[in-house]
Amino acid sequence: MTPVLDWEFLPLLVVLSSFVPGVWIMFLREEQEALRSSLNLIGAVAKVVLVGLMLRGVGAGAVYEWRLQVLPGLELSLIGDALALLFVTLSAVLWLVTTVYAIGYLKDSPNRTRFFSFFSLCVTATTGLAMAGDLFTFVIFYEALTWATYPLVVHRGTPEAIQAGRLYLIYTLTAGAALVLGAVWFQVEAGTVAFAPGGVLEMAAVEEAPVRFFSLFLVLLAGVAVKASFFPVHGWLPIAMVAPAPVSALLHAVAVVKAGAFGVVRLLHSLFGIEVAWEMGAAGLVAGLAAFTIIYGSIRALVQDDLKRLLAFSTVSQLSYIALGVAFLTPMAQTGGLVHLVHQGIMKITLFFCAGVLSETLQVKKVSQMAGVARRMPLTMLAFTVAALGMIGIPPIAGFLSKWYLGVGALDAGAVWVIPVLLASSLLNAAYFLPVIRTAYFDDPDPEGWDDKGRSRWFEADWRLVVPTVVTALLALASGLFGGIPWSPLGWAELIVDRSIL
Amino acid sequence: MAGLATTLLALAVGAPVVLAMAWPFHPLRPLAVRLSPWAAAPALLLALVHLVDPAAAPSLEAPGLFLGLQLGLDPLGGAFLLLTALLWVAAGAYAWWYHADDPHRDGFFGLFVLTMAGNLGLVLAADVLTFYLCFAAMTFAAYGLVVHKRDGEALRAGRIYIILALVGEVAILSALFALGTAGGSLLAFGPEVAEAWSRLAGEPGVFPPPEGLEGAYPWVTGLLVGGFAVKAGLAPLHLWLPLAHPVAPTAASALLSGVMIKAGLMGWLRMLPYDLAVPGLATVVIITGAATAFYGVLMGLAQDDPKTVLAYSSVSQMGYMAVGVGVILLAPEVAPLALTAVAFYALHHGVAKGALFLSVGVGSRLPRPSHHRGWLWTLRLGVAVPALALAGAPFTSGAFAKSSLKDALSELGGPWYAVLDPLLLVAAAGTTLLLVRFVVTLETRIGGGAQEGSAASAGGPWGLVLPWMTLVAAGLLAPWWLATAFPPLGGAAAPSLLQDLLPALLPVLMGVALAWAIIRRPKVLGSLRGLRIPAGDLLVLLEALLRRLRLPGRSLANQAGWALRRGSLRLQDAVQAWLDTLARRDPRLMQSPLLGSILLALALLLAVALW
Repeated sequence: MTPVLDWEFLPLLVVLSSFVPGVWIMFLREEQEALRSSLNLIGAVAKVVLVGLMLRGVGAGAVYEWRLQVLPGLELSLIGDALALLFVTLSAVLWLVTTVYAIGYLKDSPNRTRFFSFFSLCVTATTGLAMAGDLFTFVIFYEALTWATYPLVVHRGTPEAIQAGRLYLIYTLTAGAALVLGAVWFQVEAGTVAFAPGGVLEMAAVEEAPVRFFSLFLVLLAGVAVKASFFPVHGWLPIAMVAPAPVSALLHAVAVVKAGAFGVVRLLHSLFGIEVAWEMGAAGLVAGLAAFTIIYGSIRALVQDDLKRLLAFSTVSQLSYIALGVAFLTPMAQTGGLVHLVHQGIMKITLFFCAGVLSETLQVKKVSQMAGVARRMPLTMLAFTVAALGMIGIPPIAGFLSKWYLGVGALDAGAVWVIPVLLASSLLNAAYFLPVIRTAYFDDPDPEGWDDKGRSRWFEADWRLVVPTVVTALLALASGLFGGIPWSPLGWAELIVDRSIL
Repeated sequence: MAGLATTLLALAVGAPVVLAMAWPFHPLRPLAVRLSPWAAAPALLLALVHLVDPAAAPSLEAPGLFLGLQLGLDPLGGAFLLLTALLWVAAGAYAWWYHADDPHRDGFFGLFVLTMAGNLGLVLAADVLTFYLCFAAMTFAAYGLVVHKRDGEALRAGRIYIILALVGEVAILSALFALGTAGGSLLAFGPEVAEAWSRLAGEPGVFPPPEGLEGAYPWVTGLLVGGFAVKAGLAPLHLWLPLAHPVAPTAASALLSGVMIKAGLMGWLRMLPYDLAVPGLATVVIITGAATAFYGVLMGLAQDDPKTVLAYSSVSQMGYMAVGVGVILLAPEVAPLALTAVAFYALHHGVAKGALFLSVGVGSRLPRPSHHRGWLWTLRLGVAVPALALAGAPFTSGAFAKSSLKDALSELGGPWYAVLDPLLLVAAAGTTLLLVRFVVTLETRIGGGAQEGSAASAGGPWGLVLPWMTLVAAGLLAPWWLATAFPPLGGAAAPSLLQDLLPALLPVLMGVALAWAIIRRPKVLGSLRGLRIPAGDLLVLLEALLRRLRLPGRSLANQAGWALRRGSLRLQDAVQAWLDTLARRDPRLMQSPLLGSILLALALLLAVALW
């Protein structure tokens, strides 16, 4: 066996691999397209390679820690352990494919320097908060993510986009303030904000002042719930759909919403500790809220005709699977929740890529325009079908594994009520995805309604749009099909739970 | 031999999977489509090897695939494999010529191999999740076969099919969640499944049921029975069958009735607890099964389309098999006998029904009968053989299957036997009547689909006739090879063939006499003509009811969606109003990144100060 790399600063390199290109691009001129794209791609590939190195090390048992003292007693800490890597790997891989996609999607559009700069910074913030070793570092990157995403949401500069951006800021900044407040409060109560497996709170201390700790939990939950798009603070997500497709894809699969969901994981497991959280009723609250959001999002998705809005409500629903799973004490439910972080990401990014290909190539933005579109866009619709069936939970696509672990895990925990929620969600998912697939394959096409930009040499559209879409669809299929091997997302999630570093 | 069998096992599932995966790639597609009709050949070869050497029981495990795929071949699987592979090969060859001029041929064969992969996979699956995976693949891929024609009727049939299928999937999955909780994700058929059941049932001295699942045992068995009943076509969950069969291409209908509905039966046989009685559920299953046997006949008699008549006949026949499954659930001690009888029945019905469906396509593509009397008589003969078998005439596979089911019932004895035996005899007479109805409707369709220049008019439709004749011959010879396929029954069945001569002949004679009596009386016949029930029977009532209530599914969801939207908007408005007041107090807070950052920094400094 080859020796494992023991560079302590690997986590920092991972963060810098997108930060440096991001800042560099900011100073480029608009027409320096080749340099800009090269920087982006080099950064993205470097990140994947660095993450690969870290994965190998962590798989063999290593943990990478990098700390920087900011003030006495206050330090930035980046920790690359198995849990962090689950999220980091997802963002690194999906950033790479999204970069290719974005270059194709935004060709010949204005303000690309600004776009790609913030695009890189957005991923920087995501990887940073994924590896944050304490709440302080987490908050820094969490806020940075808000600022890095704002220019992407308002990228088009239309009044609609500005309005959506305003709403996005109102929601996320308020939540950010709550998170900061909660962090300070937590520091006062616990004396530390460092993340620790099993939490840092003592059961006895919590039992002495249950109301105070529950309020503390609520404040922190409010901080992460907005980005995790829990009902009733999900309102910004469907409105932020005005952003260009690659932004929506990244927003819904990796960056913003996953930061929220990951925050819920950290809050329940690394700060309060899941046993304490159950004892004080906090985990039960999260589970209930998540279950309601799952059903709510699905029902809202049913009535959408705009494809991206449909997908947005689907995200609201699917995202809550993660919180639902990690809110339970049983290993299977936690595995199911964690693995859905990855599974939802690759399936949802595929769906958004498809929506982007359709709107960019054919100007098709609504489900009602999609009749027979599979004949013009066979690969895209095949990718869409795989991802949508995965969302419904049909084996062997990734989504089924999440659902299976969640269902069995919830029953293990004695929570029979979760089963109807999961199954109702499956049925609702089928009710809004299957008609889309049916109309795309079996209805007669109406090419008059399309504004066809034409095929590329090898593919049905620009290859930079089609190839990433097909790649992520294959990832969604492979994650399910090879779920049994240790390096699959499922295998890795099981490793996290086994090592009890959650 | 063992090595060969293992290779064939991998190929049996691998061949259709590989073809389905090659299909999306444009350069490979022509080759994949060309090979698709024959993709079940390795499976057929494996079934034959197993028939010759039943001791060969190959198995394969792929722990890295899915949650751990397990494939294997046991006696029950061997019997179903023979049927499944035979029908897929015959239907594949048939479809190749049937769809020779079809612009959607490539699409058809893409879904064809995907459905095949699921169907062969579920027959060869050796654990619960592999079975479920294949079952789901088959169910969803088959949707594409049902709506192949793409007209309104086909899409409606597809919609009903997929809605019912989803309900079934959900019921099955919820039962599997419970089984998985009791026994783990990797549950091999046989002892492991049995242990999970006994845990769920909370058998004294074994394990207490998992927390929260006390008393869940009857529910779980019920959900499993109900979920697979959708596929098996048990009334009133049969609604999709009479709609899907007539609109699907002939080869696909043959597969639906011949093997795919048997997947529901197979699910019951594989997953239900054999050694724990479930008397309440068993009673429900037996009564529903017997009722379905009658219901299918009655509804089928009121149909005009030969394929719809056959679909209702399948519903009725699945009722018999459900009775057998009920017997298994009722009395574990009769289970081995009943299990063999049911598998036997499935095999017989699959081959006969497949042949009859293919004959509909042959009939419609035949040249006009006035010119080709030879073809006409071939058709009549080729219809008569499987029809007689279905009716249960002596010396046919039907007599064999029915007598073995009867054996199981008489072993059960008691009032069940006393009631069911005469009841099923009457139902069998009904089956004969229904088949007469089929022949009558078929005669009106002969030559209806023959086109100039099609395969039919160019020197004889051999591409359609040969696969069809293969199935007819397989059914004719069935009494002999069935005995080999089922060693435990082989000894007992041969003599009963002669013993049961009269009971076997009785329902056929009754049915024919009744049919003859009706046809001879034009007045009765005329009044019966007016009695037409639209295909999908109850569904039509249900749809009318929904229309009357002005609550079709979609708009119900719409209303719920809008109600939720109003509620959530009101809540969001409240939140936003509050945020807006905040923003008004300090407008810059919400707009300037700089100020926000400063505020953040201040808060962090506060944090440091509090250390």
